[in-house]
Parts: sequence; C-alpha cells; structure tokens
Amino acid sequence: MKDKDKYAEEHNSTYLNCVHCGKCLPVCPSYSIGLNEFFSPRGRVRLILTDNADELPLRASKVAESMSACLLCVRCVKICPNDVKIDELVIDEKIKLNESADRAFSIEKIALKALKNKRKVLLKSALKIANIPVIEKLAGRYAPHPEGKSFIADRDLIFNADTAVTQSPSGNHPALRASLLERRGVIGESIDTSLENPRSLLLKKEEVIRQSADESGRNVFKAGYFSGCVFNGIYPQISTCTVTSLTENGIEVFVPKMQGCCGLPFISSGDVKSFRELALNNARAFKDKNLDYIVTSCASCSYSINKLYTLYFNENDENYPEILNFSKKLMNIWSFFKELEKSGIEIKKGKLKKETEAVFHIPCHLSNMPEFRPSSANENLIGEAGFIADKIIGLKLKPLKYNYCCGNGGMFNIRHYDLSKEITKRKFEEIKEASPQEILTSCSGCIFSLKDQKGILEKNETMPVNHLISLYAGSLQGKVRYDCITSDLSNDSKAGIVI
Amino acid sequence: MGALAAVEYLSNYMDKKLINEFEILLGKDRVLSETEELLCYSYDATSKDFMPDAVVFPLNAEEISKIVKLCLKYNNTPIVGRGSGSGFSGGSLPLKGGVVVSFTKMNRILELDEENMFVTVEPGIINADLKSYLSEKGYFYPPDPASYEFSTIGGNVAECSGGPSAVKYGVTKDYVAALEVITGEGEIIDTGSKTVKNVSGYNLTQLFTGSEGTLGLFSKITLKILSKPEANSLILVSFDDINSGFNAAISLLKLRNRPSMLEFMDKSSIESVKGYFKSDIIKIEGNFLFIVEADGSQEEVDKFIREYEKILKEFSPIFLFASGKDEDKKVIMDARKAISPSLRKYGDLKINNDIAVPINKIPEMLSFLEETSRKYDIPIINFGHFGDGNIHVNIMLDKNNGGMVQKGERAKYDILKKTVELGGSLSGEHGIGLEKKEFMKLKYGDYYMNVLKNIKKAFDPQNIINPGKIF
Repeated sequence: MKDKDKYAEEHNSTYLNCVHCGKCLPVCPSYSIGLNEFFSPRGRVRLILTDNADELPLRASKVAESMSACLLCVRCVKICPNDVKIDELVIDEKIKLNESADRAFSIEKIALKALKNKRKVLLKSALKIANIPVIEKLAGRYAPHPEGKSFIADRDLIFNADTAVTQSPSGNHPALRASLLERRGVIGESIDTSLENPRSLLLKKEEVIRQSADESGRNVFKAGYFSGCVFNGIYPQISTCTVTSLTENGIEVFVPKMQGCCGLPFISSGDVKSFRELALNNARAFKDKNLDYIVTSCASCSYSINKLYTLYFNENDENYPEILNFSKKLMNIWSFFKELEKSGIEIKKGKLKKETEAVFHIPCHLSNMPEFRPSSANENLIGEAGFIADKIIGLKLKPLKYNYCCGNGGMFNIRHYDLSKEITKRKFEEIKEASPQEILTSCSGCIFSLKDQKGILEKNETMPVNHLISLYAGSLQGKVRYDCITSDLSNDSKAGIVI
Repeated sequence: MGALAAVEYLSNYMDKKLINEFEILLGKDRVLSETEELLCYSYDATSKDFMPDAVVFPLNAEEISKIVKLCLKYNNTPIVGRGSGSGFSGGSLPLKGGVVVSFTKMNRILELDEENMFVTVEPGIINADLKSYLSEKGYFYPPDPASYEFSTIGGNVAECSGGPSAVKYGVTKDYVAALEVITGEGEIIDTGSKTVKNVSGYNLTQLFTGSEGTLGLFSKITLKILSKPEANSLILVSFDDINSGFNAAISLLKLRNRPSMLEFMDKSSIESVKGYFKSDIIKIEGNFLFIVEADGSQEEVDKFIREYEKILKEFSPIFLFASGKDEDKKVIMDARKAISPSLRKYGDLKINNDIAVPINKIPEMLSFLEETSRKYDIPIINFGHFGDGNIHVNIMLDKNNGGMVQKGERAKYDILKKTVELGGSLSGEHGIGLEKKEFMKLKYGDYYMNVLKNIKKAFDPQNIINPGKIF
C-alpha cells in the first residue's frame, strides 16, 4: 500500500469532495452502455466512500464488479469540477480488493503472468509468447497476431540522427543494421553501443543538455525510446516508424534492451507489487544515459509512466528519485515534437504518395498539456498530434463528432469483452459518419479495439487503422509508407485484446 | 450519513414478491435490488441520501403504468422518478424508500415535427443531446440549466429548469406543449397539444411542469422549438459603482432587442474568481460585473453589440471587452464557470439557494446578503441571472464546525424571509423538494397549502408518487 500520510493528504480521500452533481455520467464509457449508475464514476465514488467509512457492509465481490468495469479512461477526472481523482480512487480500491480477495483463475491472470514473465526474458518477443494463443482459446475469439519480430533487441541500440537509418534495410548504419538483422533472426553483427559510443550517450552532462554538436557540427538531440509491449511485440513497425521519424528530424535515439511493460495492466488489476517492479525496471533501463527526453508513441504507456509511477512510490523510498526522474523525462511523441519546435528545430514536412482522408481517434490517455493552445486547424481538431498532421502533405483530417472512447481500456477489454465491443460499436458510429479512408490514432489499446471490426462493419468490409506516426514516417520517405498495421486486417479482422 | 439508517429502517419494508413481479414484468436486467447497486441510487446533487428498495428501468408508458399498479397492490410502495439525479432540491431522492424509476433507458427522440416546430422526446434524453440533435437540423431548444450537459429533459420539466437564456427565451415551462403522464393510479393521460392556443379545461401541462415529480411520471414530452440563431457575441463589462452597474443592466433589458444572456457577479464572486482565474484578455475586477450575449443573424448581432456597448459606456464601466470569436467567448464563459470551483477555498459545505427577486430589488437583496455575511461572519458568495432576478446565494461553511453550520442555517432562514418580503420566490429554478420544504410557510398560508395537497390527491390519492416533497 501507499504511504498512509501521502494517501490521506494528496488524493486518496478526494471522494469526500464528490458532490454527486452527475457531470461525470455522460462522459463515462461504462455508464453509457447500460445507463446504470452502478457502473458510473459517481456510483463508484459512492461505493468507495461507503466502503472506506464502513457505513454499510458491502460485499467485496459486488464492489469489484463495479470497479472492474472502469476503463481508467480518465474522462470523468477531467470533467470533475471538484477534482475528485476517480482513477486513483478506483485503482486504490482495486488494490484493496486484490489484497483481500482470493484471486480466482482468470483470463486476466494468465495475460498478466505472460506479460511479467516475458520481462524476465528481456522482453524479447513480447506478448506473442504465451498469452495470445491462450486468450484466443479461452475467450473463443481471435487476438491480433504479431507482425514480424520484436523491435527491442537483446542489446541496447542506438539510432544515429539523420543517417541511412530510414533509407533501406541494407543501409550502412551499424546499429540499425544490427537491429534489422536481429529482427530477421541474424545474430552476431550487432554492436552494444550503450557503453562504446562516446559521441552519443556517455557525454558529460553539460554537453547533452538539450542540444549538443556532433562531429559535423550539427545540433543533435538525444532521446530514449520507450516502446511498450504492443509496439514492441505485436506491431514492431510502429516502433520502427517512431524511431525513423525521430532520426529523420535529427534526433539520436537510444533503445535500452532492459525496458519492459509499463505496468498499466498490473496496476489496473490492483497488483501494485508487480507495477512497482516494472516501474523500477524501466526507470533503471534508461538511467545514467544522459538523455534529454524519453519518448513513447503509446498514449496508455505515457498515462502510466507520467501520471501513475510517482503515485505508487513513497517519497521516502530510496527508489523514488529514479522513478520521479524517469516519469518526468518521459513524453508522448506529439508533445515531444512540439517541444522540439519550441526549441527552434524545424520539423520536416513529408508528402503522401496519395491524398488520404482520415480521422484521428484521440486516445483517452492522450491528454494535452494544460498550457497547450492550438495554433492550426488540425491542432484544434486533435490537439498536439495535429502538429504532426500539419506536417503531412496530402493528409486531410476529418472531424469526429464526439470523440468517444474506443472501448479498449486495457484489461477492461479482457474482463468485459462484450461491454467493450458495445463501446467500440458506438465509436464506429461517429467514424462511419465521417466516412474516412482510414483511422489514425496513437495508442496500442485503441489500435486493438479499432481493428476489432467484425460485427461492426459490413462483412468483407474493413477500415484500415494506423498510427499517425507511421503515416508521418512514410511521408518523410516520399514513397509508399510503412504499412505498419494495416496488413493483418484481411486475415485478422477479429483482433481483440492483449494488454 | 443517512444511508445506513435508511437501510435498517427499510430492510423489511419492501415485499420481496414485488421485486419478483418487477423482474417478471421487465426482466432481471432492468431491476436492481442489491444493496451495492441501490447505494448508487441513494443520492442526488444535494448532500442528502436515502436508500431505495429497488430501481427499475421501464421502456414505455405501459410498463410504467404496470409498475405503478404493482406498487399500489403491494402496500402502496412509494415511487420516485429519476433522470440523471442532478437536482439541487432532492426531487429524485427516495425519501421514504420504495422504487426508483430510472428514465435513463427512455432516451429516444420520437418525432421532429418540422412543419409545426415541435419535438417529441422520451424523458430520459439528456438536454445537451437534444440540443445538438436539433442544432444539426437548424433548430433550437433554449432552456439551458447549468446542468444541461448531463441533466435529462424529464428532470428539467419536473423542476421547470431555467438558465442564462431565460432573460430572452424564458424557462422550460415556456416550451412544454404536451405531456403523456402516468398518474398515481397508474392511468395514462395526455395533456396539451401542438397548438399555441389551447383553452380546454385546466392547463394540466403547466401544472405538471415544475411539479417536482409529485403528480405523476412523464413518458412523453412535446416541446416547442425555435429556429437556431446564426451567431452570437459576448460582452464582459464591470463597474466600480454597484448602482451604475445595476442601472446599465436595467437599460439593456428595456431594449426591444434584449440580450440573450445577462449573467452577473457581485463583489463577493468577483473576489472569489479573481484569485482563481487567470486570463490575458479579460480582467475580473470591480464591484459589479456582468456578461451580456447577443444572438441572431450575424448582421443583427453586430448591430446589437454596438448598441449595447454604446449604452454601457454611458455608465462609465472600468472594463469592457466584446468579442464574437470562439476562443474569446470561451475565455469569458470560463471565467463565469470558474465561480463554482473557486468557492471551495471558502469551505467544504455549501448551502446553495437559488432565490429569485423582482429585478428592481436586486441591489437591495445584494446589500442584504452582504450584511448577513457580516452579521454571521460567514462567507456568502452571490452570482446569478440578472434578467430574471435569479440569484445563486452560496453560503460557504466548514462541515466540521457545528457552530458555523448552525449560523449558516440561520442565515439561510433570514435570506429566504427577506426574499419573500421583497416579493420574490423561494426557488427560481431548483425547486422546493426536501431542501426548502420548511420554508414554504414563509410564503404560503394553510389554505394555500391545502389547495396544493388536494391537487396532489386528485392525481395520486394514495400518496405514492414522490411522497414527502414540497409539503
């Protein structure tokens, strides 16, 4: 459990601020389906209050039923006029229930075990090892199949800025080549650059603050890349595209081998112990590398790392500074590009071969910086991600009327598949109304649910789902873009869950 | 809190057979009866709570009629209608336990009659959803209670909700044309018609509107709609001298083209927001501030704004800012919306009164509120809708300070008494419900109260529909 004083002082008693106004009801995806307040933010807060005050004897199993249907989308937290931290309250209640309950065999447990074990084998092949076939079998539905080998290698990798990196797999850059070879199953040519490349990673601190000059006198930013499980194991091309977008813009990218799951699936299941282990592992993976920033292209990973990491470590914990440091350095890819622009770096424009009309599904966990002020039509439409959309010539973004949730909610999709699918259906109503050629987004969970189109679209009909960064990376190269995640649609339209 | 006591009291109250009958009628998934579920229907936006014995989700008038008849059959079990449970007067609280009828699943738009300009809806539709549906078709349903993004039309009609637009467009009652209602005897009746003129017997439509769910349960609501105004612009203006500000606002109301919104903040709320809200473009200062809106065609709006500005300037404002740009308008409205959260610094318990006084009594009421605040040494923060004299009086208290809470209750009494003296109304838009029941006698004598009770008896002879409210 968290430190008790911190618990009381900072957030965990925010349920007392709830005035039951009801403002959270229409924004809650789990309420929107059944319109039953037992599955609403306000209802959950009431249950938590009653449970904590011992007002009424409540059955743990029944309280858990309500909590487990929370997607942790944070929409209620954003809209709450009284700053009730509903997500944290739900997580704490889950931790409490988790500690007292005799956890039964569940699909969820298997998935979590797979994620965690995999970390122990250096995250080499992500989720595909165990849980996908099991979930598929148990739940009687299909899960997405990994596309290619995992992105993260069994050694740290460095991608130099603006080199042959993005030109072809047979380019000359040793680290890239190593990773490509590695992904093809060729071992032996990789170079562990983390310790050997003096130019990039082991520079003295003052030299790497924000910008430094490389050998040719150009300014070079250094960023770490946190892939998250899905963009490592299932859709490794999204990681490739992210790294490409960075290196093309003069960013040197460091990818430590030791990184693992961000921990969100664990904390959202009340397993705070594993969550902390994973957090610490990730913080250490990027520690002492003198990185300016750490970037992720998964919105849910950034929610977990930015928002939750520091909450579940006591400030007096010896590991707290490491966690805090990591949490502060991590940035979602869109904020990062905006940050670069603010630093005076011009972000390259790319051009699509063919004009594309698309919608951008804003992930619930992609919350914009509070001080962010949109300065273009695209930014107005989709927040900071609009900055990159502006850079893609030939991309026309169409608005989504309500920006509903996709229904994934990480473990929610595993626990309550039918509910999840209902929410996805509602999402597709607004997508169909916009009738785009493809759907863009920037979160692993959203991609899973948006690709799960069976029973939503007409038979034989599919709508491509892509990460915006893939589109950008492709546009930079001026050729057919990376088809990072569309290729499995034809044979895998029933894609579901994983994390 | 009240929940536990209520549960003990009610644990054997409801016949299990009644729940079985509900389950047979509606199916198990539309009946809730477990404690944990019921707990989530025990509150509304007041700080009171009462446990129901069951929650049911009907889909049509026939089901509601059968629910009522079952309740009559089983020991006259109380029935309370509920939309989003966002009321400020306890209208949807099951004071005496019984069945909560949740209308959330009855949320369809049944008919848009474009020729006659009426829309017919089920009561569970959210006000904002109706607004956005109509807006796409070029129509407009004006009533805009602060809760319009989450409160239901059924709740709005039951409480006769109003909001900022009342100054030009009136309140819910001005739009309700016809109702389908299930009475306390389980009978389904139709009131009103889609005609502006309708004199045929008593005007029951208007009687039901604002009846706080005590006369029957609505199953269909027909509302008058207007054409959507093409554009709007806002002015934020403030004055050092309260009387100048007051007179400036009065002058705007006298215009042929009166503003579509006239929201004011007095010294107390200006102080509250000042420290809380930051903006590059507007200043929150002075002793009397208001926000004016003009709507209509773009041409009209521009003309109105020029006219308003000219008048306002005659009263020597200390700050005036006008804009039709979306981003500016958002900042202005954000300042207004910041009042509620900014109040938190004054205390954790808020006694929120929505009194209404004749417009010319606003300055007198405001200075009385200032006095009262001083007299009891408690913060009283006021803001409201100038155009209808509706003042939101927020008495801010510390929940754990018993003496202070008592003082707050006394202040509330004084304020309501003064309201009646000034010829005002105990509640402009929230309703009486539980919160102001005891104050009805300030305004009405026994004979009047008996008339109200007899009216209720006519629709609900067994007193099962929302018992314990209003009187």
